[in-house]
Amino acid sequence: MNRGFLSMAGIPSHTGAKIAGEPPSEGLSDAQIMLRVKAGDESAFDYLVQKYRRPMLSFMYRMAHNTAVAEDLAQEVFLRVYRSRETYEASAKFTTWLYRIASNLAVNHARDTRHERPENTVSLDEPDQESGLTMDVPDDSLSAEEAIVRRERLAAIRQRVQELPERQRIAVVMHKYQQMDYRQIAEVLKLSESAIKSLLFRAYETLRVQLKEFV
Amino acid sequence: MKCNDVCELMPELAAGLDAVTPEVNEHLESCAGCAGKLKEFRQTMALLDEWQVPEPSPYFDVRLRARLREETAKQPHGLWYWIRKPALAVSLAVLMVMSITLFRTDAGRNSAPEGPRALMVAEPGTAVGDLQALDKNNELYSDFELLDDLQVQKDVDANP
Repeated sequence: MNRGFLSMAGIPSHTGAKIAGEPPSEGLSDAQIMLRVKAGDESAFDYLVQKYRRPMLSFMYRMAHNTAVAEDLAQEVFLRVYRSRETYEASAKFTTWLYRIASNLAVNHARDTRHERPENTVSLDEPDQESGLTMDVPDDSLSAEEAIVRRERLAAIRQRVQELPERQRIAVVMHKYQQMDYRQIAEVLKLSESAIKSLLFRAYETLRVQLKEFV
Repeated sequence: MKCNDVCELMPELAAGLDAVTPEVNEHLESCAGCAGKLKEFRQTMALLDEWQVPEPSPYFDVRLRARLREETAKQPHGLWYWIRKPALAVSLAVLMVMSITLFRTDAGRNSAPEGPRALMVAEPGTAVGDLQALDKNNELYSDFELLDDLQVQKDVDANP
């Protein structure tokens, strides 16, 4: 493992504990590693950032639909983890806590920018308005017409997911793209497993109907 | 197994996160509606797979480090932060108890006439010295009055 993330940032360890600098042991759970962060272990925080950086970015991108915003929000998640390290109690799974922070941030961002977002119109000739990127990876094997159809399809997927009610949207992103099971999603959203089953069924049912023409 | 039970399982079955059990399979073979719906769910799931996430920016770590640096630099810990520290909280509590105890003891001493301040004598001729002299005179006058009263009482006793 690399040097501690915090030491690279020029941040001294709080305790100067012996464990600082040592890589977290293989057998430790994330909650135990977080307890080492609490004890001042810099490399433990680095480990968690590296482990969850991509999942957080992926979650935030699908919630915020914008690469720059997703990165900003994912960084904010890690900052909040770092800020809360001293009060952290390993009473729940680390991922539950992490996704709860992420969900709250994503929901707050969506609410704050509700009126700023442009209508979900998609130009097929220009790069995506939100990310500044073209919507699909260039694929030489596709003809121009096929590429247009593909972009249309991607735009529809994004739009239909975005239009889902808040909790359904979070549940779908967690279930479909973060590979979280009912129990994990239920813990993050503080709902029962049966409520999550029902929530997800309704969400996928909506998507099935609305995306039928693209299937 | 009923249609509602199978419907609840469809997201997991369509996502491939759950295996089709013999009971579910039996229901699907006998229920064209559920079988058709599961097929469409699977197609929807496959469609959703097309939505890929762009690669993270190579500057993600650099920016995060910078934000962490800012975070620690601007952390002038508030009063609540320090109060939450157990050792400091106990020290503050002990200090408060000692202060209150000392204050009370000191107040008790001050109320006694033989307190340190009562022994202080100012130089005659100064304002404080004059005031102290007046105080002493007052005591003398009251003593004289008492002696007068005693004399009167003696006179009364002597002349019934």
